[in-house]
Amino acid sequence: MSTVTLTINGRTVTVPKGTTVYHAARQLGVEIPIFCYHDRMPPLGACRMCFVQVEKMPRLQTSCTLEAQEGMVVWTESPTVVEARRAILEFLLINHPLDCPICDKGGECPLQDNTFKYGPGASRFVEPKRRFPKAVRLSPVLTLDRERCIMCWRCTRFGEVVAGDHALKGHDRGYRTHIDVPPVTQERPSKFIGNTIAICPVGALTSGVYRFRARPWDNRPVASVCNHCGVGCATWVDARGGEVVRVRAREKAEVNDIWLCDLGFFGYDYTQHPDRLTTPYVRERGVLREASWEEALDRVAHALGEAAPRVAALGGERLTVEEAYLLGRLFRSLGSNHVDARADARFTPSAREWAWGSGTFQALESAAVLVLVGCDLTEEYPVLWLRAKRALDRGLVGVAISPKRLEVEPYLKCSVLHDYGAEADVLYAAACLVGERAGGLPEPLREVDVDESCRRAGVDRAAVEELVRCLEAGPAVFAVGRLSWDGPHPERTLAALQTLQAVHGGQVWVLRGKGNAVGALLAGLVPDALPGLVALDDPQARARLHEVWGFAPPEEPGLSTPAMLEACAAGALRVLYVAGADPARDFPDGALWHRARAGLQLLVVTELFWTDTARQADVVLPALSIFEREGTVVNLEGRPQRVAPSRMGPPGARADGEILQVLAARLGRPMEYASVGAVWAELRRAAPQLDLDRPTELPRPRPQVEYRRPAAAGRQEEGLWVIPAAPLFRQGEMSARSRGLPELAGTPAVVLHAQDAAALGVDDGAEVELRAGDAVARVRAEVADRARPGHVLVPVGFSQLPRARWANPELRVRIRVLEGVSR
Amino acid sequence: MRNRNGWQRVVVEGAAILKGMAVTLRHLFRPPVTVQYPERRPRVAGRYKGRHWLTLYADGTERCVGCELCVIVCPSQAIYVKAAENTPERRVSRGERYAEEFQINMLRCIFCGFCEEACPTGAIVLGRDFELADYRREALIYTKSMLQEPYPGASGRDPNREV
Repeated sequence: MSTVTLTINGRTVTVPKGTTVYHAARQLGVEIPIFCYHDRMPPLGACRMCFVQVEKMPRLQTSCTLEAQEGMVVWTESPTVVEARRAILEFLLINHPLDCPICDKGGECPLQDNTFKYGPGASRFVEPKRRFPKAVRLSPVLTLDRERCIMCWRCTRFGEVVAGDHALKGHDRGYRTHIDVPPVTQERPSKFIGNTIAICPVGALTSGVYRFRARPWDNRPVASVCNHCGVGCATWVDARGGEVVRVRAREKAEVNDIWLCDLGFFGYDYTQHPDRLTTPYVRERGVLREASWEEALDRVAHALGEAAPRVAALGGERLTVEEAYLLGRLFRSLGSNHVDARADARFTPSAREWAWGSGTFQALESAAVLVLVGCDLTEEYPVLWLRAKRALDRGLVGVAISPKRLEVEPYLKCSVLHDYGAEADVLYAAACLVGERAGGLPEPLREVDVDESCRRAGVDRAAVEELVRCLEAGPAVFAVGRLSWDGPHPERTLAALQTLQAVHGGQVWVLRGKGNAVGALLAGLVPDALPGLVALDDPQARARLHEVWGFAPPEEPGLSTPAMLEACAAGALRVLYVAGADPARDFPDGALWHRARAGLQLLVVTELFWTDTARQADVVLPALSIFEREGTVVNLEGRPQRVAPSRMGPPGARADGEILQVLAARLGRPMEYASVGAVWAELRRAAPQLDLDRPTELPRPRPQVEYRRPAAAGRQEEGLWVIPAAPLFRQGEMSARSRGLPELAGTPAVVLHAQDAAALGVDDGAEVELRAGDAVARVRAEVADRARPGHVLVPVGFSQLPRARWANPELRVRIRVLEGVSR
Repeated sequence: MRNRNGWQRVVVEGAAILKGMAVTLRHLFRPPVTVQYPERRPRVAGRYKGRHWLTLYADGTERCVGCELCVIVCPSQAIYVKAAENTPERRVSRGERYAEEFQINMLRCIFCGFCEEACPTGAIVLGRDFELADYRREALIYTKSMLQEPYPGASGRDPNREV
């Protein structure tokens, strides 16, 4: 790479060609003040703060836009430059209200800092300032103060360049220019607006949730990790006096860079909500009553001891890996392999073959094509979308194969919208076309009729051909999401993916699992593998575990979630221990859960709140939230990262790990550790591939060509096909108790295509009744082309639309307009 | 030291004693400095720094906007402020923000007056009151209701003054 050498303040520096003078100065340790420039976005040169003097150039130059040239002589502290900076700041402050005492940015404000360092002490401007109405609530989490805005355009450019959601725009001209939401309001709130608050160099955009709760000097920042979705973004948690007041992004180039989504930014208030459980409950004569820890633990230990090995454990996404490991170890010591972290999944193939999780996020930068297979990236893993967006801008080709129109469609090269559950047909058709182009169609694919497949999937052959053209760019990352994994025929989809992978090349990611789900699988909360996802019958691993544990785990593979619930229903399992999961609400087959609950002798739940599962439990143990405990969580890449407590838990609640250790002691199978670090060290002996801050290689199926015929049963033609589509903002137990998030979630609306809406007489915004079997719900209907004809998008995860009833992929629904209540 | 003989010493040092005694004698006929507290009350200086007041504007709104500059400047970390937002229905201070809670730990306070100096709105002033003793420690954590002046101007600060 060619370089240029220039002189800055008399010192020479050599930088790669194309570097700006601003960055060359930074490399020398020379500070140049900036407002509009942000190094995650291209230069703009709007604020004029970064003026420097360049010899042989007639006027001062903005260093953020000026490319360094060979032999350039730059002065950053010459009298002209100093005077120009003072003048710029004086101009910026002409219209700035200087209400720092009531501004949330005060104390961490670049405008304050730069004025203090480079600005004039006083203003000569005595005329009235520009006035706007103060504190406009642009959204439940975003407050705008246009008087404070210095028009740096960082926020609007974030929406254009980084997030692609165009959430904020500039309005008007001249001195009336101001920031506001676009005139055509968006159908859904932005998922990344918290980042605009973070990058705003003044107090123009402030958080509606953090508003006035603390000043920067009150806060004790703790480095931690967000545990909402599975991306595992690094965070700073600011706590003030035992209360978490704000969450900020912590820079981590490999994972979240410097961004967070709004769930991460604002999903914290639940931890200090008064609804938190603070005492154990036990069921007596059918009623849950308060109990002491002694009594509750005795009851659990007694039941586990009696019923062993007919005991099972569910959950793990909200545990740390250490706790997940202890849970697995305890149940294996009881002779049971019935442990599964995939508590909300109906489709649970062997985790040694199809583990949840992705490759490294950085692989997106080197891949040629990203194929989203039933994966609504922005709703499920928003920050991963920011990474994908950056890669797309740099030449990655984006393709979607989806039963619903994705929000990010404008950024994709091709989008194949198919009938729900028919992605395998699209994939097989594509595999055939790819194979044909390559010159040889593998044997099993000879039987595929491309036109027939396209017809079955409800797509045009041209769309699949377009998809195949996109694939020509090179090896692909196939990201399977919930719309496929939880869809009607996931086995066939995965077989088709393996086939396409074999004929085309690339890797398959399974984007499934929230929080620490991947970590829980790696820690051994999986029925058919040992910690580290080692085969149950691996003699070496068994010997190693025997040495560490003092006993060998049972050899029989356990049952995965659906089979486990069947066994509970049949009475084959007596005690179910649910750790930080809510199967009563989230398991897509509510009837099966109810039968399982009825068949159980004892249901134990460790929880933060009265969830549906907790209400049905026999023993409820109050646990700690992610803000209150120490440990390690693993993201989708298999990257373990440390979480640290930022506040004390409510009195009476205990960490899951502590509960498990006490239970183990009472069961006569002690698990004693001096610290959480000791558990981690032991886990690393059992699963040596886990290494702090390094992505773990997760088991991936081999590419292989296999054709599976579609299921014989044709679709019933009556009713609309329900696509359960959980939005990012919904009424989860935690989201509903975090300030700002319930308003972002809003009221749920089912989405219909205009064609179906016309046939049913549904107007946009009308109140409708959904009826599927015995499930009935009354919700608002939205008419939009996000849904395909014949389908209805149901936002599961709201109290009136629980997953247990509406996430069944075979559901068809009848829709009736409710008279008299339509708006 | 200069060498002095006996007589010289008697004269010089005796004169010094007499000089000192003259001071004593003079004060013997002056009114005493000692104040018979609590029967009699002392008069404190005009700029005396005693207990704090949170002052009001003439219209009764609070001057304090809860900015916490006093909190950060306080060398003994004696102040706690929790801010909240004014609503159109309940306007406590000017601007958007007011102090919902304001506590000063009088046990910690060293009456340096930095808080008064830092305050951008002139809300906190150190008054003349020095009778702050109590039998209970809790009673010495002054809350907002104790610190707020009872009526605009009660602390001695002109309620019509802007800052």
